[in-house]
Amino acid sequence: MFLAMKRFPQTVFAMAVMLLFALACTEEQDFDQINDLQVTPTLASGLFYLESDEATINSAGSLNTFYYQETNFNAFNETYVADNLLEGTITYEIDNSTSKQLRVIIGFIDDSGNILDVETFDIEAGPTDTVVREVFYGPGGKRLQILTNTSSLRVSATNLSDANSVSPAENPKIILRSGAEFLFQLQ
Amino acid sequence: MRIVAKFLFLVLFCSMSVFAQNKELLYDFYEIPQSLMVNPGVKTSQKWYAGIPVLSGLSFQGATSGVTVNDLFANDGVDFTTKVQDRLLAVMGDRDDFSTTSQIEGFTVGFRGKNRPDDYYSFGMYGEMDVISYWPKDLAILAFEGNGGNNIGRSFDLGDLNLRGEMVNVFHFGINRKVSAALTVGARAKIYSSIFQFQSINNSGSFVTTPGQNNVYESTINADMQLQTAGVRGFYDIVEEDTGTTQKDVTSLFTERVLFGGNLGLGLDFGFSYELNPQTTITGSILDLGFISNSKDVWNYTFSGSTTTDGISVFLPQDINNVNNDLWQELLDEIDAALPHGENQSGYISWRPVKVYGSIRYDFGEGGNPVFDNCGCGVNSGGGTNRDYYRNSIGGQLFMLKRPKGVQAALTGFYQRRFGRTLSLKGTYTIDKYSITNVGLGANLQLGPVNFYVLADNLLSYSNIADSHYASLQFGFNIISWNDN
Repeated sequence: MFLAMKRFPQTVFAMAVMLLFALACTEEQDFDQINDLQVTPTLASGLFYLESDEATINSAGSLNTFYYQETNFNAFNETYVADNLLEGTITYEIDNSTSKQLRVIIGFIDDSGNILDVETFDIEAGPTDTVVREVFYGPGGKRLQILTNTSSLRVSATNLSDANSVSPAENPKIILRSGAEFLFQLQ
Repeated sequence: MRIVAKFLFLVLFCSMSVFAQNKELLYDFYEIPQSLMVNPGVKTSQKWYAGIPVLSGLSFQGATSGVTVNDLFANDGVDFTTKVQDRLLAVMGDRDDFSTTSQIEGFTVGFRGKNRPDDYYSFGMYGEMDVISYWPKDLAILAFEGNGGNNIGRSFDLGDLNLRGEMVNVFHFGINRKVSAALTVGARAKIYSSIFQFQSINNSGSFVTTPGQNNVYESTINADMQLQTAGVRGFYDIVEEDTGTTQKDVTSLFTERVLFGGNLGLGLDFGFSYELNPQTTITGSILDLGFISNSKDVWNYTFSGSTTTDGISVFLPQDINNVNNDLWQELLDEIDAALPHGENQSGYISWRPVKVYGSIRYDFGEGGNPVFDNCGCGVNSGGGTNRDYYRNSIGGQLFMLKRPKGVQAALTGFYQRRFGRTLSLKGTYTIDKYSITNVGLGANLQLGPVNFYVLADNLLSYSNIADSHYASLQFGFNIISWNDN
């Protein structure tokens, strides 16, 4: 009896430890779930902005191109973009407050100089409301490869009207804005 | 971006074994010699003690103030991406953290002065690793959701990146003095021998994309960010070289750093115990009031500047003669120039995470027999009534820790029961940012001269440890002597 009482604290401690280990358990965990993770951010960025006053258009003459530029543009065919792009939308906005009917053409060109796609904007003489065009790339839209193979953009702007008229608007301009929202699959 | 995503998850998963630094079970558990390490002014009764090398004090604690392992990895049939979005991104804030602290005592010795029995000296060496990473909320959302869609107009705070970590070997020497029957004070000096240190704690800046003034979108970034490292590059270079003697080289460098071969620092601990009356005692301590001067093997990485971009812009007639066909590359170069990122080797001071403890204890239930034998060295004599004659103690403790984003506090209530000199149990309930259901239990077992203690926190979580926000375990062996025999 005395011996049992003497061992009581040790017994309590041993039981407590055993109880601790007995209670220490965990629900079933599945760490392979991390392979199912989908990381799909939407990235947005301005692309190209063109602004011209009416005097510049007039100085190029009637039915002439007043702006023509081909510039390297590797934003789309960067490796991680090309590998991970799921879909995307390029938004164009055009404001024309000049008196001119205009045509703006944006060409998407690959490394070999091939034209992959063009966006053509026939713009009424201004002043006009803002013209918005959204071009979707991906399932149900244009091919993603147009973007992922594009290495340069060719932008041309042509005056389809006369070379004399001047819009009554204050500081008449043609403005082309563009921006992109792309959905990526990173994981 | 893939790297960012992997980094975020690495931080998360490594931190599942998070460690908080609060040792509420050990604090003022004066039967355990290691309680001297959390209060140099704790009342001591032993004549001497020696920790069994490497086994005298091992502490492993884990906590997360946000998501748990179970939240994400429970086999519950819920889509994992949905769980990440609902239970991680939507819930965790930028003050939630993952942190780890572990300590291993190399050796520790305490002894009472022969000529001044009121003085109790201790010295030793222990290793400590401490890492904290706050949840980089805005950066995580940027990585998972991007700056487009609903995040147009949202300003992402780059200051959310806030982390600090170090591994340090500590050599210490302390004096504990019984000033009077009621008051005991103590102080400890420390030399820190740093193995590595890194910190990125004063970042600021933002990244925002808005509808542009000119173009459809306009993105603005301003950043002032820095990652400071000391002692990391040496290990990285060894691993990177992969010469076939990697393990040997790492061990050699580690040993060198442990024994003052790296960056060094100094620190101080202070503490006291004061008996307000025979049954009521207040205590307090401040630990790791110190710093490490990092001047060796320093590599810092900086990223700063500001810029706004809306893409390629052409204004006519100003740009009519610009026939450059590298407008895109020029734009990238401009952004790169506006946001310089570089490396430097400037030394820096890293402050140790200061800890403060305070407690009040009420003893009751006279037992008739002292828990400790008289040490035979004079310190116990004349002590009058003291805790040794009470079987029970009840009280409260406060813990505060200086973290990069401010002070972290914990409040503890405890009850301690002594079963003669053989066994003492301490139960605690602690509330802090990690848990409001943290119940802990500690036991100190004395078998002759051999002392063993084990302290475990948050016992309620043991029913599903993966769902725990906090877990801790401390244990150790000591040899204690009260008498000369």
